[in-house]
Amino acid sequence: MAKGLVKKTFIAPLGKDNPVFVQILGICSTLAVTNKLENTVVMTLGVMFTTALSSFTISIFRKLIPARIRMMVETLIIATFVIIVDIVLKAYMPDIWKQLGPYVGLIITNCIIMGRAEAFALNNKPGLSLIDGLASGLGYAYVLLIIAFFRELLGTGTLWGVQILGSWWTNWSIMIMPPGAFFMLAIFIWVVKEVFIKEESK
Amino acid sequence: MKKESFFAKRIYPLLFMLGITVLCIAVTSGLYLFTQERVEANENLFLKKTVLEAAGVSYPDDFIEINRIFDEIVRETGDVFTVNKGQGGTAFVVPFTGPGLWGPISLMVGFAGELNALTGIGIISQNETPGLGARIEEPWYKQQFIGKWGPFTMVEEGTADEPDEIDSLTGATRTSRSVQAIMNRAVSEGPQIIKGE
Amino acid sequence: MNEALYPIAVFFAAIFTNNILLTNYLGMCSFLSVSREIKTSVGLGIAVTFVMATTTILNWMVYNYILMPFGLEYLRFIVFIIVIAAFVQIVEMIIERVSETLYAALGIFLPLITVNCAILGVSLFMVIREYSLITSFFFGLGSGLGWFLAILAMAGIRQKLARAKVPPGLEGAGITLIIAGMMALAFMGFSGMINIA
Repeated sequence: MAKGLVKKTFIAPLGKDNPVFVQILGICSTLAVTNKLENTVVMTLGVMFTTALSSFTISIFRKLIPARIRMMVETLIIATFVIIVDIVLKAYMPDIWKQLGPYVGLIITNCIIMGRAEAFALNNKPGLSLIDGLASGLGYAYVLLIIAFFRELLGTGTLWGVQILGSWWTNWSIMIMPPGAFFMLAIFIWVVKEVFIKEESK
Repeated sequence: MKKESFFAKRIYPLLFMLGITVLCIAVTSGLYLFTQERVEANENLFLKKTVLEAAGVSYPDDFIEINRIFDEIVRETGDVFTVNKGQGGTAFVVPFTGPGLWGPISLMVGFAGELNALTGIGIISQNETPGLGARIEEPWYKQQFIGKWGPFTMVEEGTADEPDEIDSLTGATRTSRSVQAIMNRAVSEGPQIIKGE
Repeated sequence: MNEALYPIAVFFAAIFTNNILLTNYLGMCSFLSVSREIKTSVGLGIAVTFVMATTTILNWMVYNYILMPFGLEYLRFIVFIIVIAAFVQIVEMIIERVSETLYAALGIFLPLITVNCAILGVSLFMVIREYSLITSFFFGLGSGLGWFLAILAMAGIRQKLARAKVPPGLEGAGITLIIAGMMALAFMGFSGMINIA
């Protein structure tokens, strides 16, 4: 029973409860950096770290947090983890830190993190909340990584900065510009929904 | 329903908030102080790399090596870095800053010893649009200044072949003009700054 | 470009060429969920513009007069978000006491604003780009109006679209994102209109 619950907690955010393509939450902070795969990986790792650990911490304190100032406390805890991500990046990955610029700080307002804290961590044990946070982060990460993969490949012909497509390839500059992300995300959601809809009607 | 006591209603939330704030600030401050030295070393290293890049000196991607090379061949006097490139002659590197589209663009500009050509540029900081103006960080864009001398004219991306022509970036006309302005100022003021020391 | 006109240029750039929603994707969550009707999007747009312009000034003062002198820049994320949350709370209380009609129109949107990434985003951009107080104000105001404009246009299009037949997989978020992409393309057409250099 307990094992089944853990598994369910972990699987749901990857598929039918995916925060990005089902709930369309939290894309703000990361969409802007999806024009490069490397930046997206670092950014999504940061989001996973924050979601998992802030859910965990909030769950530990869940019986102590006064309901009145709940949101403030949650924001404070989330912001603390984001600052940790920021400081660690600045110290150990200065080049990427520079490229991400203000977007690391914007993880704070990522709706997924707050959403998971409100909907799950406040009512569940720390261990389960950690898994839920991690899985939500993961469900978020892989969608953005797929988008980043196509944006970088089609936009510059490279992956992880390494030239993949030959000189015959004409870069689709539109992919690395702002509209590219909107179109990619829409196409991705479309494909996923079509597949789900077909499966459900069977 | 039982009425909340004054303590539970007013004092406890306040104390809790205070406690959690102190905890959060303690954690982040601790980590900040712990990494501060490393952050400073990184910034220092980054500056050294930019100077070497502008002077046209190649360097390995290694912390100790870069510091060794820098200490060996670079002399810093005021704003000017004098780089002794051995057989390659001397290069002078001077920082120049100017307004970009979104914020200031800071460059390290390298001058060949005879002050008649550039040895390259390095970018200290920029806030241009990712995918458009931020492409000034791309190697081909920076390397196009090597061996050239201004005042520069801007031409379409991929068509520069005269010694005073530079490629602009498609879709980032503003940024390209900003860089052009900074570089033109660099070639007119740079020699005086270098001689003045 | 005249130094005095710089804030005005940033103001227009923030509305058109570098719209915070369409080029930086900030404030997407409320953009996608609230853009169904013109009426609600006007309410949210006004609230966002007001809060953005005001908190940018508050955060600028806090950053330059409190955080900088004490070397506490690394705490800016926490401090900014608290300033924003507290400000929104105070505004909500004031509106509630002063005008019931205003509260009925805007009240429900205020809690949404605290988690609107665009508000925090503007404050963070302002710090990184080293804007002056005046420029920051115009940047905040412009970004708010730009966001307002984008959500208003989107609501208008979506109201027309309600009758249209959309492929089932694209209904809701999918089609909204495609429209947003086209709007982003259209807004790119403004580039070159504003010269910040």
